[in-house]
Amino acid sequence: MKHLFLLALLAASLTAAAALPAAAHHSFAAFDITSQKTVTGTVRQVDWTNPHIWLWIDVPNDKGGSDTYGFEGMSPNFLARRGWTRTTLKTGDKITVSYRPMKDGSNGGMFMTGQMTDGKVLSMMGGSDAPAR
Amino acid sequence: MNNAKKFRSEIVAYLVIVVGVGVPALAQQFVSKAPTAADWAALAKLPDFNGVWERSGVGGGGNPAFGTATPAAPRGDQPPAGNRGGAGPQRGGRGNGGGSAAAGGRGGGPSFTPQYEAMRVDAARAPQPEDNSTANCLPPGMPGIMGQPYPMEFLLTPGKVTIVIEAYTQVRHIYTDGRPLPEDPDPKFFGTSVGHWQGDTLVAETVGFNDHVQLARGVPHSDKMKIVERFRLMDPDTMSIETTITDPGILAAPYTTTGTLRRHRNWTISEYICEENNRNYVDQTGKAGINLTVPGTPKKD
Repeated sequence: MKHLFLLALLAASLTAAAALPAAAHHSFAAFDITSQKTVTGTVRQVDWTNPHIWLWIDVPNDKGGSDTYGFEGMSPNFLARRGWTRTTLKTGDKITVSYRPMKDGSNGGMFMTGQMTDGKVLSMMGGSDAPAR
Repeated sequence: MNNAKKFRSEIVAYLVIVVGVGVPALAQQFVSKAPTAADWAALAKLPDFNGVWERSGVGGGGNPAFGTATPAAPRGDQPPAGNRGGAGPQRGGRGNGGGSAAAGGRGGGPSFTPQYEAMRVDAARAPQPEDNSTANCLPPGMPGIMGQPYPMEFLLTPGKVTIVIEAYTQVRHIYTDGRPLPEDPDPKFFGTSVGHWQGDTLVAETVGFNDHVQLARGVPHSDKMKIVERFRLMDPDTMSIETTITDPGILAAPYTTTGTLRRHRNWTISEYICEENNRNYVDQTGKAGINLTVPGTPKKD
């Protein structure tokens, strides 16, 4: 699956602007799609907005404070048809996010999966308890 | 000149202006006749296109295989070009659903006449922009808008097929009332469309595209570019769209692709206001980026 995904990404990047898969709105130029990072934090805010949802989480740093990370997801339209709602993630939820990091090193990137403390796994294709429709 | 005379000459001048300006404008206007009960009843004899459709291969939703958590979106079925990209919907060869190129060279892309093939090659060798203008919320033009990973609703009314496209909240109007294609249309993202029924197939012809529509990156189209789409039901909830692009002098041959749509009876069209919270951008040099300013905080430099 992952292999297919990378192949598809490669195909997409080869055809450059022609192919803006799934997101259909922009390219992956800002993300390092060759690497994947994981970070754990507390949901600060969910923007259930077009053209993409944005998830903001506060991640404890080594200075005793926290840094805010931003993650881009699919659109609410796309997700609502795949089991998500605007309250699937709520302020205060603990979450571990796997993501494609920003190329420029900024805190955040493209959301891939989210592991919740109750074991639920969220992806852009739907949550693990999402109804198959 | 007395008042009456002055008034008469003003009227004459006014009529000259109205006639002179008005006639060419009126000549382009096709007046739809008021639909009768018979016109509405006739719709029932047409294939059942009404409802919400999504192109095949988007993943999730209608496909239970994607109803559980998977780390990545299936992306085999390449969406068609954006407004800065190549022209074909659902280019062939990479798909796991929905698309195959029926004609054309280069692994499914359109084939160009030598002069324009040289332009394409030059553009392909030049530094590539990192994104296209959809990142800035401009919609893809035709035919790209017909292959977005969002649903479309078809509405049949007397004399017209309307396609409400969720992506970028767009609408296409295909007039089936017998009006001709315009001879000198204003260039538009979606062009101007007329359609007619050939048996159970809706044949839509579209002309008049703006410069956002490109046949391939760096290759313009001419004002002779035309798109013919043939829509037909393959089974009760599957629609086939065959799309053929012609552009004499630029395309070496008609470029045909096919795609399929699946009907989702339990879906409705939602809004997609791209400017609502668009953090993506591409600048004039082709550099793409993302604004990661945390909501509620001052903008970062």
